[in-house]
Amino acid sequence: MVNSLRCEAVEYAYPGGERVVDGASLSVAAGSLTCVIGPNGAGKSTLLKAMGGLLSVDSGVVTVDGEAVRALESRVRARTLALVPQFLDAIPAVTVESFVLGGRYGHLDGWRRARSADHQAVLVALREAHVFELRERLLAELSGGQRQRVLIARALAQEARYLLVDEPTSSLDPEHQLGVFALLSRLAQEGHGVVVVTHDLNLASQHAAEIALMHSGRFVAVGTPKDVLKPEVLDPVYGAHFRFGKWDDEEGAERPFVLPWSS
Amino acid sequence: MAARPLAIFLSLLLAGILIASLGVGSTDVIGLAEGIQGALAMLGLAEPLEQYQALAELRVIRILATVGVGAALALSGALLQGVFRNDLASPSIIGVSSGAGLGASLAILVIGGYGPRFMIENAVGMGPVVVTLAALIGAAACAWLVTTLATSGGRISVPMLLLVGIAVNAIAAGLLAAIQSYALRDYDVSQALFSWVFGRLEDRSSFQVGLLWTGLALTASVIPFVALELDLFATGEEDAQGLGVNTGRVKFLAILAASASAAIAVSVAGQISFIGLVVPHVLRRVTTASHRAILPLCLLAGPVFLAGTELLQRSLLGDAHLQPGVTMSLLGGPFFLFLLVRNRKELRAW
Repeated sequence: MVNSLRCEAVEYAYPGGERVVDGASLSVAAGSLTCVIGPNGAGKSTLLKAMGGLLSVDSGVVTVDGEAVRALESRVRARTLALVPQFLDAIPAVTVESFVLGGRYGHLDGWRRARSADHQAVLVALREAHVFELRERLLAELSGGQRQRVLIARALAQEARYLLVDEPTSSLDPEHQLGVFALLSRLAQEGHGVVVVTHDLNLASQHAAEIALMHSGRFVAVGTPKDVLKPEVLDPVYGAHFRFGKWDDEEGAERPFVLPWSS
Repeated sequence: MAARPLAIFLSLLLAGILIASLGVGSTDVIGLAEGIQGALAMLGLAEPLEQYQALAELRVIRILATVGVGAALALSGALLQGVFRNDLASPSIIGVSSGAGLGASLAILVIGGYGPRFMIENAVGMGPVVVTLAALIGAAACAWLVTTLATSGGRISVPMLLLVGIAVNAIAAGLLAAIQSYALRDYDVSQALFSWVFGRLEDRSSFQVGLLWTGLALTASVIPFVALELDLFATGEEDAQGLGVNTGRVKFLAILAASASAAIAVSVAGQISFIGLVVPHVLRRVTTASHRAILPLCLLAGPVFLAGTELLQRSLLGDAHLQPGVTMSLLGGPFFLFLLVRNRKELRAW
């Protein structure tokens, strides 16, 4: 299907390890926000990497706009799909602005020179991710939450059609959590396909067009928040640890809220 | 210090060191003025020296060898440290130095009369060519062995690389010692073996210097294609891949260039350790950590370090000056220990 990011029956095991993704299929249309939820170890982050073309899957196929992700030249792939990791292996000694400029790698010319359009894109991305005022600070000096927003800014600088975001709000305060999801929602409305791995079921309910519930390497439910966030779907996967509710308005019926609760 | 002023400073310093180096040599029958005149005469810019033009030319070749070796080893170290994201990586760790030593020693043994008759007949008279090429093959073989054994699932493991490097270096050192003890009673062969082990920048042939500079030019030509990419490697290989870096190609190019430049340097001048470790590290402390600055700066700072040390000790010690491999070990060894102690916390996790 054109204008979508799809994975079909994807299987993946780390070398010498157990199968982490076990027949996962998902389709994310451009212009929509899909949240992938599921317990720890369900295979969400690994699937996200596979969808981003970072892993060579053992079987199945990942396509973006009808083309196999792994067949795309690496810089073309970076202009098509941007990944926001949860963490970095190491924090380089660079300013926020230089770091975000790294997102422009796929757009640079053969001599790897950044042009004014690249610097302009960086400034726009810094503003959109609300880190413009941090641009001259060293990355290492930032808090975990600030760094997460800088990672989003770098992905925005890639100007890719699809954004794959791994737990973007895990270190953020409530205001910035809402801010990040509002930004991702807006990007989806502007035509981006956005996939967010998250443990925050309420943010997912509030913003996602679709929620995909992953368990033991495969999707066990994919649908609107109302279809997925209900006891008979969540309980078998997470255990019966939730209380469900909804606001008394029109949107409330479509987007329930969920509270973890000791039984 | 910003990279550009540092480059200007290093260029001026190098020019000064090179000019001063024209005035010192194993004999003092020609001084600085004659040395400069002889060098200019080689470019057709002055009258050749009446008696000692050949002597001046030897000095120029020695200086060209010194500059090339310093640049090649520093570049090699910076590339390896970038690929492995580890300040402790250096050409000697991936087995290049000991591999080159083994290859060259075998060639010296053959030329010295210990090889099969047909090899001796063909090799004698082509000493520098055979020794250099044998060293190059030895270096490439060891680098290939170490990186292959340290690769698992398409990824190079740094701790594994260091451990395999230790093992391969130990095997090569053992074989080298065996060759040396085998040839011990033959004074000429022993002399050739030992002088090669300690590093030698004098009496290099124009073939060797030509090979060195050609190799350096080729390996330095990868800089524009790996520098920014190595900067993006700083946050992890997977992250760089996500930004569009073809990590496999960058690793291949950088390791190939690092192995080739170190192999050529060691095959021409013998074992000179630690330049590849020390120079990039000091540059990172003095200026930015960006490879777009560090890699080209190594081409200036490596020669400044090696030629500067050579000039200093030749001026101070005269005939009693030490071989460059010895000086670099005496300076580089303590520096390496300093690095280890300083990084003790990070290394504890290994």
